[in-house]
Amino acid sequence: MINIYRWLIGTCLLLLAACNHNQPVKDSSLALMKTTNPSPIMTNQKKDSDGVEEIRKEVSSLPEIYDVAVVKGKQDTLVVYKVKHLHRFKMKKIEKQVNKMLEAKHPKENFTVSSDYKIFLESVRLNEHIKSSKFSQQKAENRFKEIVKMTEDLK
Amino acid sequence: MASKQKNMTPQQQNYQTLQQKHELKRPVLKNCIKAFFVGGLICMIGQAVSYFYIYFFNFTEQSVGNPTVATMVFFSMILTGFGVYDRLGQFAGAGSAVPVTGFGNAVISAAIEHRTEGFVLGVGGNMFKLAGSVILFGVFSAFVVALIKTLLVMWGVL
Repeated sequence: MINIYRWLIGTCLLLLAACNHNQPVKDSSLALMKTTNPSPIMTNQKKDSDGVEEIRKEVSSLPEIYDVAVVKGKQDTLVVYKVKHLHRFKMKKIEKQVNKMLEAKHPKENFTVSSDYKIFLESVRLNEHIKSSKFSQQKAENRFKEIVKMTEDLK
Repeated sequence: MASKQKNMTPQQQNYQTLQQKHELKRPVLKNCIKAFFVGGLICMIGQAVSYFYIYFFNFTEQSVGNPTVATMVFFSMILTGFGVYDRLGQFAGAGSAVPVTGFGNAVISAAIEHRTEGFVLGVGGNMFKLAGSVILFGVFSAFVVALIKTLLVMWGVL
């Protein structure tokens, strides 16, 4: 009887694995488990994105950080990152450091910095929606504002 | 220990040496390894549950702890009711008791044990017999830690 159960479970697993074979895997579906390094994006795609790329490079240069997502809205710029496991004890210190560095280098920008996984995931999802043209500029801006509001609730 | 042995009669001393000869040694290392892996597996399931809530619901990393703990306690209560968690407890010991699932097990096993005494005085009165101390010391230690943190923040240390 136990053998029959084992065979059944094994067959189900094999079938499930086989069904998954040709499905394209989105970055957002694995964003919490692997490094995605999404390209920085702006809710208004007509503008030049060199500035946001520079922000991403600056934040990535910190040794404690390994995955950075940057989304620029009309007024705010959202910078989300993942912290290496052994440095997660110093999360607040790293957040202050990132904030200070960005404010010094880009005094005109208004930054929202977060290391929360949910914010990271939502940023990657927004990035994908903007790239696949699923979102209009206005819709992207609204979603961006919702994500920024989520970071305010964390404080 | 030596003074205790002095007070013993020769018969008692003989009995003790015989008992020491036949006493089974506890496999401490084996138990620790079992507890480590089963405890780790339970925590891994907890991590998967919290990722599930982050992916599919509007919980952030900070707020996801509450639904995760509730889910894990609920699952362990169900498994205790079916008699599965007790077997796991016998196998893994502290590995199944220390995670938050052990709390659910403590509540439900006490409720099942006193079911025959009635719902009010039996189940209601004894449900938190084991888990009550966990709640009491948990709340008290949380209060002390919060107090220390508040003072440190006030003094500008943190």
